[in-house]
Amino acid sequence: MTELIKEQHLLDSLTSAFKIKGRVIRDRRVEVFADKKMVSGILLFAKKQLGFIHLAHMTCIDWIDENKFELIYTIWSPIEKIHLFVKTKIERENPEMENIDSIWDQANTYEREIREMFGIQFPGLIGEQDFALEDWDEMPPMRKDFDTKKYALETYYQRPGREDAKDVRETISERSGTKVPDFAKKYSREK
Amino acid sequence: MIREKETTLYLGPQHPGITGNMMVKLKVQGDTVVKATTHVGYLHRAFEKLIEQRNWLNAFTLLCRFCVPEPDPMELTYARAVEELDNREVPERAQYIRVIVMELARLQSFMLWYAGQAGSAGLYTLGQWSVGDRNYILDLFEELTGGRIYHMYIWPGGVRRDVTDTWKDKVLKTMDYLEKRQDDYNQLMFDNTIFQKRAKGVGIVPKDKAIEWGVVGPPLRGVGIKSDVRIDEPYEVYDKLDFEVPTAEGGDIWARALVRKEEFRQSISIIRQAIEKMPKGDYYNKVPNPMKWVVPEGQAWAKTESVRGEIGFYVVSNGTNKPYRVHAKGAAYTHGVTVLEKILPGQNIADISFIMNSLGVCPPEIER
Repeated sequence: MTELIKEQHLLDSLTSAFKIKGRVIRDRRVEVFADKKMVSGILLFAKKQLGFIHLAHMTCIDWIDENKFELIYTIWSPIEKIHLFVKTKIERENPEMENIDSIWDQANTYEREIREMFGIQFPGLIGEQDFALEDWDEMPPMRKDFDTKKYALETYYQRPGREDAKDVRETISERSGTKVPDFAKKYSREK
Repeated sequence: MIREKETTLYLGPQHPGITGNMMVKLKVQGDTVVKATTHVGYLHRAFEKLIEQRNWLNAFTLLCRFCVPEPDPMELTYARAVEELDNREVPERAQYIRVIVMELARLQSFMLWYAGQAGSAGLYTLGQWSVGDRNYILDLFEELTGGRIYHMYIWPGGVRRDVTDTWKDKVLKTMDYLEKRQDDYNQLMFDNTIFQKRAKGVGIVPKDKAIEWGVVGPPLRGVGIKSDVRIDEPYEVYDKLDFEVPTAEGGDIWARALVRKEEFRQSISIIRQAIEKMPKGDYYNKVPNPMKWVVPEGQAWAKTESVRGEIGFYVVSNGTNKPYRVHAKGAAYTHGVTVLEKILPGQNIADISFIMNSLGVCPPEIER
């Protein structure tokens, strides 16, 4: 483990400053788990004191079985060349998370996307309500309980003539009255 | 001086420049932009949601389409994240092949950039030349992978097919040709007074704000910060190859163009080295039956350098044969929204698509 001194040192400085848990995943990868109220404090500390000046990524995972959303902030230090993942879990009912676009302006885009795709509210978030979707009044679509197929079947209709979802060769043969050759039959969906 | 009336102008959504469909809502006074608000939403294809409903390998058909000019970095980044989850080694030969494919992908993307950057300044000849020559690279891809634009060639555990000696010869000959040809492009672009006048001092990214705004890739190197995923966090065999990371000062379109001009040379040099050093051996550490392949539970983050900057994938597995969550972040995610909104005020309307091309804005990547 001698080669992971930098990573261990970073983890120690964070765990001692905030009383949080974490681990060194591998070289250049450290993760910490924090309560949602502490996240902005940790990010600000990492940015100002530890040199993690680049917000590389921010994402959300819907753990529907646990009834939680997990938010992951990936930050990068160009000097230490380490990725730090700050992870937090929040309740799935009326989800709300602190807005961090005052720490990194670009967080605004990530937060707008997460608000739209998962329905997590970030109080004080400026920016148009719509991001990639327009006039969307269904459940936020990246949630695990949003059923894409059910939505598609309810919202759109089948193209006329394809209701039976038959193989195109069979449809042609029915209409024209000719037989499907044997070699082509094996591709039929009926079989 | 008479204060001109402020008007609202909608740029796009039909391809402002040749970047892809997005809209920029502008408040303008005369020809000068006062405020810019970006609006994406014309290209959302729910790829991330669809990937969750497919098996680990099916995802490739979708994720190479995240950004049309750069399908290969997406494949590689996702493959590397999956390999990390699955603890899967990649044979050395496959790593060299991946480097060659990545650099060929960079070259074809640079050529599209030449076309877009010059085209948005009115220099259409250069666009015809570079897009024409790009076909030679697409021919190489077709021979290797079967596809010209989308390849689905890089897979977890290696690549799908081995390269042949004839193909390698063809690559080297194409590199010789492109190296000569780039001098013609540069003469047409960099020696051109129109281009110089339009590029210098336009679309400046301030050096002190660059990292904070999430600027990556050539725009970051264009402010003099030496940052490249290939050296910051070397992947595949980039640490065994000798190459420079060019930088320039100024942060304007001109600086970014100078960076890309030199990176084009470096890519050619990397390809030559990789072909020379490529060892014999396996090209694929075979994965089990893709329909039943279960990737162990966990989360992984991988990032790769594309022409426009870093591309990152966050991949989550819950121990089944389908990804639980895949989230991609490309360079355009920051360049095309916050950075663009911040640097457009004060610019001329005619320069907007010029700036967008220079920043590498790719709307399909923003909303996926």
